[in-house]
Amino acid sequence: MGIVIAAAVIGVALLTVLGMASGARESRSSLAGWLVNRRNMGPWLVWFLLGTEIYTAFTFQGLAGYAYAKGGPVFYNVALNDVAYSLGFMILPLIWILGKRFRYVTQADFVAGRYQSRALGMFVALTTAIIMIAYIDLNITGLGAIFHVISHSRLSVMWSDILGFFVLATAVYVGGIRGNAWQSVVKDVFMIVALGALFLVFPYHEFHGFGPMFRAFGKDLGPVMTLPGKTKNFGLLWLVTTVLMTGMGQWMWPQWFGVAYTARSPRSLKIQAVFMPVYQLVKVAVIIVGFGALLVLGTHQNGNDVIVILARRLFSTPFFAFFVVAAIFAALVPAGPIIMTSASLLAKNVWAEHRPQSDARIYRATKLLVFPLTFLALFLALGAPSLLVAILLVAYDFIAQLFPAIVIGGLFWRGATKYGAFWGMVAGWAADAALLLTGHGVVGGMNAGFAALILNGAVFMIVSLATSKRISPAEHQHFAVLYETHEDPARTV
Amino acid sequence: MRTAMRNWLVGVGLVAGLYLLGPVIYFNRVYPFILGMPAIIFWYALVPVLTPVILGTLYLTDRAQNPKGDE
Repeated sequence: MGIVIAAAVIGVALLTVLGMASGARESRSSLAGWLVNRRNMGPWLVWFLLGTEIYTAFTFQGLAGYAYAKGGPVFYNVALNDVAYSLGFMILPLIWILGKRFRYVTQADFVAGRYQSRALGMFVALTTAIIMIAYIDLNITGLGAIFHVISHSRLSVMWSDILGFFVLATAVYVGGIRGNAWQSVVKDVFMIVALGALFLVFPYHEFHGFGPMFRAFGKDLGPVMTLPGKTKNFGLLWLVTTVLMTGMGQWMWPQWFGVAYTARSPRSLKIQAVFMPVYQLVKVAVIIVGFGALLVLGTHQNGNDVIVILARRLFSTPFFAFFVVAAIFAALVPAGPIIMTSASLLAKNVWAEHRPQSDARIYRATKLLVFPLTFLALFLALGAPSLLVAILLVAYDFIAQLFPAIVIGGLFWRGATKYGAFWGMVAGWAADAALLLTGHGVVGGMNAGFAALILNGAVFMIVSLATSKRISPAEHQHFAVLYETHEDPARTV
Repeated sequence: MRTAMRNWLVGVGLVAGLYLLGPVIYFNRVYPFILGMPAIIFWYALVPVLTPVILGTLYLTDRAQNPKGDE
């Protein structure tokens, strides 16, 4: 196993150096430039960078683990992103138009501008930065699972997670503020080669082909592959409500919402929506391997570990070393922008908004926040060790609560007020916390986050209607940009 | 803008409808096998291939409607 560990160490070192090379060219005042890249990315670059950031340790390890541990409910995750891409087809271009007109750089700027309330912008920045810690937790847990398997369990899960924390925080801190395009290329190519090889080798090695494998699935897995699978209450209503809730939630993640501001034109965003779904086929392949793991490995493994265990079983040592490096990159490369977005929200939209600071100081504060934020995520990983998918679902329960305020109130309904937006979010998050802490992840067959979202929407509407006399003229101007101009809105600036 | 919005909502409805109503109405089952795959796996391999077609059609209607805008 020495060669695998050596490859992992060299891989992480090379990736960090690659990041430093681009970091060196960055001036200290480039924070805004990093956040939006001056709205100059064409459709293919947007597609590529978004693909890099959306398909993470979760796709690599979490999906197979979910298929292995729970069965059919895993299919929600294939539907989630495609529903989100179809929603994003119109939502992202509208966000782009407003961002260009009013010079928004972050999601918090958008909220503050739409509702003419700096306080609401700060509130959203602070809360989303905290919710993003769950996403960092996910990538630490993914890294930990890799270290746990390659050490042949000599490293306990706890110490594997702690090592994952150090590797991640150091790589992000040293590697610079923003991964460069080369990191993304390497990560995506490695990931597709590694998972593609696994998907093709696995059926022939273990079952003598795809046909015999699927027949074995039919005979030995049967209803495990359907809903509710191995769970008690993740049935069809759970599927529908989970996909709707997470589909609405996807673009509410600040790091992906921000993608709307990196594109050169609304057209770029529409083109990427057409081609992003192609990535979903990787997910389907990983799910099939995860089902197969049930027949090959038995049921006693930890779900997070199965994909790496299978790779070790199937591949020669050098290719397994490559697979491990690919898995590590899949966790490290996307985690960088997530940590940096969370840190910059706190530094720029909370701290500097409260008390104006120079760009250089904001940049320094952003970097300094990397360690404490990643440490909080480690704390979460150790305190509540879970399947990667369980972490992801809880995070979505919370982030999706932004949808009424940002999409309904931000793009379509001019009657929404800051009071409605605020109380709706508070009601949604309170309902989430109450349901999840009392163990009610499923309420009446529905996903708890969806139930909370319904409550949120109702409070949002009622409070907005009750306070509708307080809408300022500036808020009306926001909608005029989208709907009342006879000029092409994209050209009004 | 109104037509563009309507077309978009139809597109969202189609993608979400295929993914969600497919299993609700029929495909939440193992048998029959289709193209050698269990029914549910077949469905979740088919719809990801149909989605770019649906969104691509939406894109083309959108561009036909608004040929100069959005550039």
